[in-house]
This record gives sequence, structure tokens and C-alpha cells, in this order.
Amino acid sequence: MTIIARKTNWRFANVAVTGINARTENPGPGMAVARCIRECPEFRGRVIGLGYDALDAGLYARELCAASFLIPYPSLGEKALLARILQIHEQMGLDVIIPCLDAEIPNFNRIKPALAKLGIKMLIPSRDQFNLRAKDHLSAFCKSIDVNVPESKIVSDPSFFDTCEADGWQYPLVVKGIFYDAGIAYSPYDAKTIFGRLVSQWGYPALVQKMVYGDEFDLTAVGDGKGNLLAPLMMRKRALTDKGKAWAGVTVLDQGIEEMANKIVKALMWCGPLEVEVMKTDDGKIYLIEINPRFPSWIYLSHAAGRNLPVTVLKLLDNECNFDFPPAKTGKFFIRHAQELIVELIDFESVLITGSLAEIPERWIQEGSGYAEHV
Amino acid sequence: MEDATVSSPCRPERLQKLAVSDTGFVFDPQTGQSFTLNSTGLMSLNLLKKGTTVENTAACLAREYGVSVEVASSSLEAFLVQFGRYL
Amino acid sequence: MQNMFNKAIWEPPFIQPHKIGEINKFGRRAAKDNICDTVFGVPVKLLVEKYGSPVFVTSEKQIRENVRRVKRAFERRYGNVIHGWSYKTNYTSAICNIMHQEGSWAEVVSEFEYEKARLLGVPGERIIFNGPNKSKAILERAIAEGARIHVDHLEELHTIESIAIARGSVVPVTLRLNFDTGYTEPWSRFGFNIESGQAYLAAKLVALSPHLKLTGLHSHIGTFILEPRAYAEQVRIMCKFMRELEGNENIQIESLDIGGGFPSNNALKGVYLPPEQSIPAISDYVNAVTSALMEGTQYRRESNRPLPQLIFESGRAMVDDAQMLLTSVVGTKRLADGRRACVLDGGANLLFTSYWYNHLIKLTSEIDGPVEETVLYGPLCMNIDVVRHSIHLPPLKHGDILAVHCVGAYNNTQWMQFIEYRPNVVLVHEDGESSIIRKAEDLSVMTQQDCLPSHLQIPFLDIGRNGRINKIASVGQIEAVS
Repeated sequence: MTIIARKTNWRFANVAVTGINARTENPGPGMAVARCIRECPEFRGRVIGLGYDALDAGLYARELCAASFLIPYPSLGEKALLARILQIHEQMGLDVIIPCLDAEIPNFNRIKPALAKLGIKMLIPSRDQFNLRAKDHLSAFCKSIDVNVPESKIVSDPSFFDTCEADGWQYPLVVKGIFYDAGIAYSPYDAKTIFGRLVSQWGYPALVQKMVYGDEFDLTAVGDGKGNLLAPLMMRKRALTDKGKAWAGVTVLDQGIEEMANKIVKALMWCGPLEVEVMKTDDGKIYLIEINPRFPSWIYLSHAAGRNLPVTVLKLLDNECNFDFPPAKTGKFFIRHAQELIVELIDFESVLITGSLAEIPERWIQEGSGYAEHV
Repeated sequence: MEDATVSSPCRPERLQKLAVSDTGFVFDPQTGQSFTLNSTGLMSLNLLKKGTTVENTAACLAREYGVSVEVASSSLEAFLVQFGRYL
Repeated sequence: MQNMFNKAIWEPPFIQPHKIGEINKFGRRAAKDNICDTVFGVPVKLLVEKYGSPVFVTSEKQIRENVRRVKRAFERRYGNVIHGWSYKTNYTSAICNIMHQEGSWAEVVSEFEYEKARLLGVPGERIIFNGPNKSKAILERAIAEGARIHVDHLEELHTIESIAIARGSVVPVTLRLNFDTGYTEPWSRFGFNIESGQAYLAAKLVALSPHLKLTGLHSHIGTFILEPRAYAEQVRIMCKFMRELEGNENIQIESLDIGGGFPSNNALKGVYLPPEQSIPAISDYVNAVTSALMEGTQYRRESNRPLPQLIFESGRAMVDDAQMLLTSVVGTKRLADGRRACVLDGGANLLFTSYWYNHLIKLTSEIDGPVEETVLYGPLCMNIDVVRHSIHLPPLKHGDILAVHCVGAYNNTQWMQFIEYRPNVVLVHEDGESSIIRKAEDLSVMTQQDCLPSHLQIPFLDIGRNGRINKIASVGQIEAVS
């Protein structure tokens, strides 16, 4: 079997998007990325959803995804991923993949050359770029470019939390998983509970970070791989969930934050989407909290603010970006809300049994099987 | 063992209600639970739903898969016990 | 859609409820690249026919390549480098001698390991003697034979001094240090702590004694370290300590021993990403160590003094991927929760490392049927005997052989003798021939250390040695019977 590389303009591209999970308290960015692309008037292609679990809502969001597929979890490695992407490519003909989850970037990086040969393009950070901004390297990186960062420490033994106050680590402390998730601990007991939860899901080690108090801002942009920060958009978080995720925010313009992001992107020669999370203290000091190697889940705001970043990625990959971005509109609010997606039994079955949702498999519906009435 | 549905832990009206797809996907509209059947399980359930006795179902299984009737019928009994736990 | 079942294969009918959050059928390795019908170039069938199952298969070629690669990398960047082969990782005699033929010294941690190295013909001067429990007798021997003694605690230091006084000589010693690198949990139970001043005290005591001479510093920051920067920090701290000592006392450190702890290509439980992504290349470690070392010894070069010798004690990274375990399926079952399970003839008794790794396990022949989540159990009558808690495999049957990869480190030494005989350990020579390097155990091995007191010579008092039943009236008649 030969798979022929497709040659197509971004407007007609088949764009696969991951991270289409949408648990209400912590949604992945994938559905928002898909929405940005679909709502770009010039776009005539298809968005293909790539999910990890049968309950990833994007799999069933037919108004966004022309087709959707399950792919193997990042922990299963690059071989399994490549094999699955090849299957999907054979069926759909992929042009671009936009990975939207931190943990999958290393895998996509490893298969990038193989995908490039098939004409599948990605704009993602290199292994070194990815590693340098990783939570366990962030302090060292920030020191090297003179960016403020809350003091943090790698923890692999939870007994640290019993004695840490004597060593200058006063509660409350932020405990962070190596890839995702974090919690605020007010006592050793809290800290150990959060630590246990984080390492059981994301592995060892975890991180502990001193609290910094202030206003939370996020910046998202695209790095062109040559040191340029493209189309930055800033958002001030206005309301947080229990997990510290923004459920309401507003676009703003802050020179200091943009300068910091510029510094970071320049130092890393960052390639691909990124999210820079910062804390601005009352005295105006800006602390870097995290650099995420992907779009944030609030990325739909970029479309509203006139800087559609996912589409910028498509244009960059096609060398069609004119770098003349309209000014980001400030004062655009977002409020995240929950809505139920209705899933037909047959679609659920399709995802469970075939790992995909591409067409309605009519052949499954048999007379008298008692099945037809449910579909 | 006279009638499948009498001696089996799965009552006939319960089996009838199950939505069974050719892929082995099963949906129980009473509990909302879904399941996957293996190929022998799918064949057995389809036969039982049609009213085939346990004995005849076992015989069909034995014929189709080339195993002895004893093996097929004892496996089928175990299957029905397992099934009964979920319904 | 085609029928995805292969009708020809009998499997008892079965229904599996869907558990939300655990449904992703593409978490399954494609069967094709999951088959290895040869190990280290020898057909699996041949090995099992010849040596039985289970069997450990070791590659001489792989071991030699591993040692050469790492050593060369260190030598190219630093020059004066010694590899101490960590005996505890795998002290099968043939494996030790492969290492020694490659120029590696013996790094031993106990009386037994010391004696084993000597028995193999390793001269005392090429033995690095670590460990927290060294008896006076073995210290006397090691000192007389010129071994490098790495001191773990003050009591040991006093013993060494008393031996030196008795011999009327000066004994060179290395101090084992511990400290916090900020990257790993410090192993503060081994050696002398720098932060608390214990290490400085020990160095001072050595300097004060006319019978002792401090010539080396040693530390070992942990095991399976995934962060090369931890080694750079380790070397920095050791160099700083060395420089302080050399500034205050009349001391010249001749060797720095950075211990081991480099990872192998195994999937550590509790690490999210697969090993090919989570484990840095060995060159990253070498670069971290040598860069920090060049920086930390700059003061020596400035004053035209020789650089300390670098010793590393890598074990796992040298041998883990050079050994596999072939093990056979002895039974299969369905668990109450619907998962498939297999019982293997080799389990946690042989694979101590299955407690902390998800070993890569491959089929050795093509097997038809749907791939499903499977639990692999070992042969022990203990609940903890699990080789893999979850692996996706086609339906296995009695006699199918599995190849467990990367088992060369810590299994041939930490395996446990519990209810089963330990199997053959085989070496595939560089020319492709194979031979046994450790014979399978049998009843005589298992009982040769037993001693039966005279009144316990027979199990049943009413059965004589000839097997006939004797009539006895009471226990008082025992003697008459025997």
C-alpha cells in the first residue's frame, strides 16, 4: 500500500486536532482550536478530532469535527502513535496535526520526520525547547534569562512535606504534577494527599512551588522558530474554578508581560503555539508561573479578539503568513459554560468498537436485533 | 435443563430487551450499561434471544467452533452465570 | 464493516462490561512488531529446547559493547577514568569476567563479593570495597591485598586505623559522602554527610592519624536517576569539598568516585512517558559529569597539579539490556473483573525487578486472536507474584513462550529462592554459540546446606530407612527403631 503525500492549500487542508477532551472543570484546548479553525471564513477544509477516551466530547461534536478517531495514550510511545496516525492518514488524508496536550509533544516530535515524508505538517517545539520550559527545568531557565519565577523544588519523597517548614517552605504551597495539574496545600496532610494524587496520575517526581499572590494573566502566541513571538494575545483571569482554571477572563494589553514572553520565545527560539502563565503582584512585579507548549483552552478568545491563532499556525505551515497581525481587541470577555452534547448510541458504539467516528455504519443495524430502535 | 430461559439466571424478557450489535456491542436499556461480547458470546446471546434452548445453543457452538458438546455447554453455563451478575 | 472475529478460534463465551475512562482500544501494541522469535541472534525455540524454560539468556556482545561505549565517552572527555563493575548488579562469574576483560575493576560491597572477586582472580588493587558492613577480618585481608577501601562510618574508620597500627603502615582511604543535590532524595544513610559537618570531621580525623591517608572521595546519589543535571551538581559539590579539604589540610585527593545510578532502557513504574522519551542518552550523563568535573578541577590545572582519577560504578546501564528471560505459559484464566490472566513458569521469584519496572514483554511466535488486556502471574503461591499487572496480548495458551526484555540488572542477584529451583543462565558468545554460565538448581543444591540432627534423621518414626513400617509402642522406642 502506498500513501501519497497530499499537496493542498491550508484553506482546503485536513487538520487533525488533539486534546478534544472537555471535562467541564478542566477542558482540553482541542475543541476550542477546532472552533477557531472552523469559524475562519476562508477555511473550507475539514477538522479531524483525535481523542484518547470514548468520553472525549470532541469525538462526537459533528459540527466541529468531520471525523474523529481514538489514538493511543502518550504513555504507549511513538511507535503505537505513528501506526495509528498512518491508519487515519490512509483513511482521511491528513495535512496538518495540531497537538494540544503537553504529554503528547515528545511523541509527536519523534514521529515528526516520518509524518513530514507523508506531507503531514506540524508546528511544534523541539525536544530541547520542550524540555527547557518543563516544570522541573523552569527555574534554571528563568534565572538564565533574568525572568522572575517563584522558588520551586523537585519532590520525589512526600516526607519532604513534614519537615519543609523548617527549611523555609511555609504553607500554603503549590504542589504540581510533572505534566499537569496542581493543588494548593495548607498543611503537610494536604500536601501529601495532593502529591499522592499527582504522582499516581502523572508519575514521579512532583514539584513544590512557593505561593506568589497577585493577579493572574495568561499570554498565548505562536513562536515561528526563529525567535519571533507572533500575534500575542493577553488575558486577565477574572474568575477561577476550584482547580485554579479560569472560567471567565478578559483580553488585555500589558507591555511587561509581552516583553517577558518575547524574552522567552527569543531565548528558546520557540517553535509552535505556547501559553505563558504569569502572576502580577501588587507592586507590579511579574512572575512566570508556567510555559505550556500548546494553545490554552481559552484559545477561542483569539478568534474573538481578531487574532485567530490556530489559523495563524495553518498559514505559517503554508508559508502564507504575512506577519501583519491586526491589533488584538481588548475588553473581549469569555465566560466558560457547560453544555450537554447529545451522543447517539450508534456513535458511542462506533467509537468503542472501531475507535473512530467517520460514517454511520448502517450495516450494523439488523432487523429484529432489538438494536434499530436505539439508533 | 428444559428451557434455556427457565434454568438460566437470565430471564427471557431481560435478554429480549438487550440491544445487540453485530460488532459484539451490547447495550442494556434498563441499566444504561454497555458491554462487549467475544465471538462465541455474541453467537450464544443471539441464539438465546431467538429462543433457542441452552442445549441447542451449546450444540451450535460446538459445531461452529469444533469443540465437544460438553465443553461448549459447560462454557455456556459459566457464561450465563457471568451474564446474570450484570443483569 | 468486516467481521472482526476469527470464527475458527474457540474461546469460551464471555461478556465484558465497559468501564468509562478505560476505553481505548488503541492502547494496544500492533502484534507484528511485538514478536521476537530470536534473542541475541539465537532462535527462541532452540534455546528453550536446549536449556529448558524458564531460562535467562545473556549476550556477551551486548555487554562488551555497552561497557566500551560508556567508557569511551568518559575517556574522550576526561581521560583518566576507571569503571568499577558493580558486582551486586549481576555477579554471575562469567559476566564479571567479561567486564574485567574489558578493563573494569570490581566494585564490591560485602565480604562475599570481595571474596568472589578474589576467587575470580581480580587483584586487590583493582577492587573498590564499598558497603556499610565490613568485618575486621575482611578489612585486614583487603588492606593487606591493597584494595581501595571506601569508608562508610566512623567505627569503620577506627577499625581501619587499628589495623594500620598493627601493620605499622599507612592505609589510604576514600570517604563516602552524602549530600543534597536538589534533584534526588539524598541517601543520607550511607557515608558521611557534608551539610552537617560529619564529612569534614571524618576527613579531619583521617588527616590527624599518622596511619591513615585520605586519597579519595566517593558518593552515590541514588539509582535510576533520570536527571543528568543531578550528576553535574554531585560533581560540583564533591569538587568544592575536595578543594576545601585541600586548602585546609595537607591532603591531595587522587580519585573522585561518582558511584552509579545511570538508568537502563527500562520502563520504571510511576514514570508517565515511555523509556525512549523519559530516559536521557548516556552521553547526556557523561557530558554533565565531565563538564562539571573540568570546571571543578580548574584550580588544579591552574596550579599545574594532576587531575583526580574519575571512577564510575555503573551497573544497570551496562548489563540490563544484555539479558532476557524466556518464560512459558503454564495456564490461563479469566479473572472476576473480566480480564485475561496467564500463569507463567517464571515470576517475581526470578524477576525481582518486576516490582519496579513494567518490563517490555514480547511474543516469540505469531498468535492469532483479539488482543486484550492481560495480567501475567508468576508460579508462586503468593499474591505479590505479578510479572505485569496490565499488558495487551492475544489469547495465549499453554506452552507459548514470552521474552521479557532488559532483565540483566539485579535479577541474577536479587532473585529469591522460594519454592522453585532457579533456572539456567545462558550466555550467547560473541561467535553465536551458547553455553550455560550458571546451572539450574536441583534438589542437591537446595539441600546441601541443611543439617539433620541425629534424632531428626527420619520424618516418620514408624517408617524405617528401608521404607518398611515398624511397630513402635511409644516415642521412647525411637532409638530402637533408628
